[in-house]
Amino acid sequence: MDKILRDKKAIIIFIAPAFIMFTLILFVPIIQVFYYSLCDYNALTKPEFIGLENYIDLFTDDETMRIALKNSLFFMIFSAVSQQTIGLILAVLLTNIKRGRNFFKNVYYLPAVLSSAALGLLWAFMFNPRMGINQMLAYFGIEGPMWLSETSGFIVLPMWVIAFVALWQYVGQTMMLYIAQISGISKELYEASYIDGATKVQTFRYLTLPLVKPMMVTSLSLNCIGSLKFFDLVYNMTQGGPNHRTDVLATHLYTQGFQYFKYGYASAISVVLLIMCLIVSFIVNKCIKVETYES
Amino acid sequence: MKRKLLSVILSVGMVASLLAGCAVSTDTGSGDSDAGAEETATTTEDAATEDEAEDVSASEDAATGEEIEITWMFWDDLEATEDLISKGYKEVIDRFNNDYAGVYHVNVITTNLEEYDTKLNALIAANDTPDIFICNPGPNLTQYVEAGVAADLTDILTNQEKEWYDSFSGGIFERITYDGKIMAVPTNFAAACVFYNTEIFEEAGVEVPTTYDELLAACEKIQAAGYTPISCSAGTAWCLSMVAGYLCDRVGGPDNLAKIESHEMEWTDPTFIEAGEKLKELSQYFQPTAAGDSNDQATAALYNGEAAMLIQGSWAIAQINGNNPDFEQKCGVFQFPAVEGGADPNRMIVKTDNLVMSSTTEHPEAVIALMKYFTDETAQKYTAEVGGKIPVVNGVEIDYTKAPAQLSYVQDILANMTGTFGFYNESLASVEAGDTFDNAMVDIFLGNCTSEEAFQKVEDFYLKEVWE
Repeated sequence: MDKILRDKKAIIIFIAPAFIMFTLILFVPIIQVFYYSLCDYNALTKPEFIGLENYIDLFTDDETMRIALKNSLFFMIFSAVSQQTIGLILAVLLTNIKRGRNFFKNVYYLPAVLSSAALGLLWAFMFNPRMGINQMLAYFGIEGPMWLSETSGFIVLPMWVIAFVALWQYVGQTMMLYIAQISGISKELYEASYIDGATKVQTFRYLTLPLVKPMMVTSLSLNCIGSLKFFDLVYNMTQGGPNHRTDVLATHLYTQGFQYFKYGYASAISVVLLIMCLIVSFIVNKCIKVETYES
Repeated sequence: MKRKLLSVILSVGMVASLLAGCAVSTDTGSGDSDAGAEETATTTEDAATEDEAEDVSASEDAATGEEIEITWMFWDDLEATEDLISKGYKEVIDRFNNDYAGVYHVNVITTNLEEYDTKLNALIAANDTPDIFICNPGPNLTQYVEAGVAADLTDILTNQEKEWYDSFSGGIFERITYDGKIMAVPTNFAAACVFYNTEIFEEAGVEVPTTYDELLAACEKIQAAGYTPISCSAGTAWCLSMVAGYLCDRVGGPDNLAKIESHEMEWTDPTFIEAGEKLKELSQYFQPTAAGDSNDQATAALYNGEAAMLIQGSWAIAQINGNNPDFEQKCGVFQFPAVEGGADPNRMIVKTDNLVMSSTTEHPEAVIALMKYFTDETAQKYTAEVGGKIPVVNGVEIDYTKAPAQLSYVQDILANMTGTFGFYNESLASVEAGDTFDNAMVDIFLGNCTSEEAFQKVEDFYLKEVWE
């Protein structure tokens, strides 16, 4: 074994396939995206270099981009706050109950395994003006709102609806991460706190919470990046409509790239999206101080 | 520390996967940087046809030996479809492959409608343009014409195949001709009319309206009788935009779009503003859920007897009769009413399905042979009698007892037609311009802005992107 590890050739041979694949399908396209974002490019004719024009347009002259930024940021903050708190609470509750733990774990996690496209359609039916929830409300004589086509307010109603569905879908994932972390905490610590007479709330505040912090960084990063580049539910529930009011960055990118074939412009959006993701994960990693208690 | 490392790795992984997502978008076009060059360098003797053969996702039956193979790309799955027109296309393909067995064979690439443009563009970018493909008129076709993807058919049609060319109805090539060059061949066409429930009209004591004011009065009476006067989908923007298109044309037609194109007219012209205001006025008679209803739901409201009128293309006939056969006898058709003091009221919104030949095809003769099959008497008879769409060639003897009843009403209206225009969203400068118009109309409908503000947005878009 040692002999093999000393053999440089062997190392290269084993690493090469993965390295080449990575370069070809990830690295090269990333560089290309940066280049195309500086071009006027419609995929049918040659890209034409236009400098920073796409970016200037994007930030000064694109109303949809402003809406998309607003929606994406709203979506990220809403998801981060709601998923982290509810996910953590569920995890703590589930690790504390004696019976039915696995059952509830599966129930909460189930939506995360289902296809987003199918769920998007399902919820689009649920929030349809003639079917689902409104039909049920009509039975009680209540006229439900137009869940997916209301356009008043700073954050429009459909965005809240989509954020709620996303919460329902992904909270199980956050919960799972926290359950994994909590299960890893040594039982002795809990016993000690019990002997010292700590209440359940105190145990959570002074024991569980500090010890799940490292997972919080991971979970929050995943959560924030996941919601910044969120696409499927929005696309399947509203297609960004009515009149782009529910567009997020990813759907705006899709429309510009795949419907209007402005690949250069779409590339510029994707670069902005990438930079936002990097900033967010940087902030998350910087701001949450992780202390290690167990050696 | 380990956990921090893990978290960093995970977040890097997320970002990387994000980039991979973006990469797909550019990757589709990445092979294209040399495509443009090769287009001018004519003979693309690379193994294009072999590649295409591999790409064929739903080839009809296995091709044999020596025959010439061509590919046709279509926006519906020919095997699984319920659409009567698509079924007719399948028959054409089967007939062609049978009749030309051993000589020509056509393979079909199918996708669903939503992904059609994306997939077609990817194939074109990869220099794998299908020999023949279906295409919407308007900016969609324009984009292929401008990129040199579509072959010029003028010579073939007007010289070599004059007899075939002469069989087409007059004016049918109008919207697919660019600078005098015919770039596509139509297979059928549909016209937008008002479909109405004759029983509700009788019950409410309403006559067929011929003017906009009569239409409003009729709506008022129908509403009083307890029905939804007009069913319309604003959830599917083009449905609403079609009504807006009719209003724009009735108020300010017939050459307003041409003037817009040449910038002799502004989108803020009083005629457009007036049309927008009329749209708002008319929309108060739409069903209360119009903002969120899909096209299918709006159509269903008519054939379920909830709504009295539906403004829709004649392709809706197949949908109406297919879902509620009993409705056929109660269903009447009239043309979109005139606006007093406005323009010519006998112009109709029409739309053709078109076949485009690739400029790089190696077997134009096979493509032309296939195009002829799409427009021969058998196919065109089917189009009318089963599909309920209007044939594009003259002299097809349609048995109207077999055809849907509504088709003959539509034909009657067409007899008085003085001119045609396309869907507004498909008649503007680009797909994006069309969407801008659609969205502006949706905003008027939702009451988010006035007619002036909405058309100002279209004007701004044109000033920035089109007129420059």
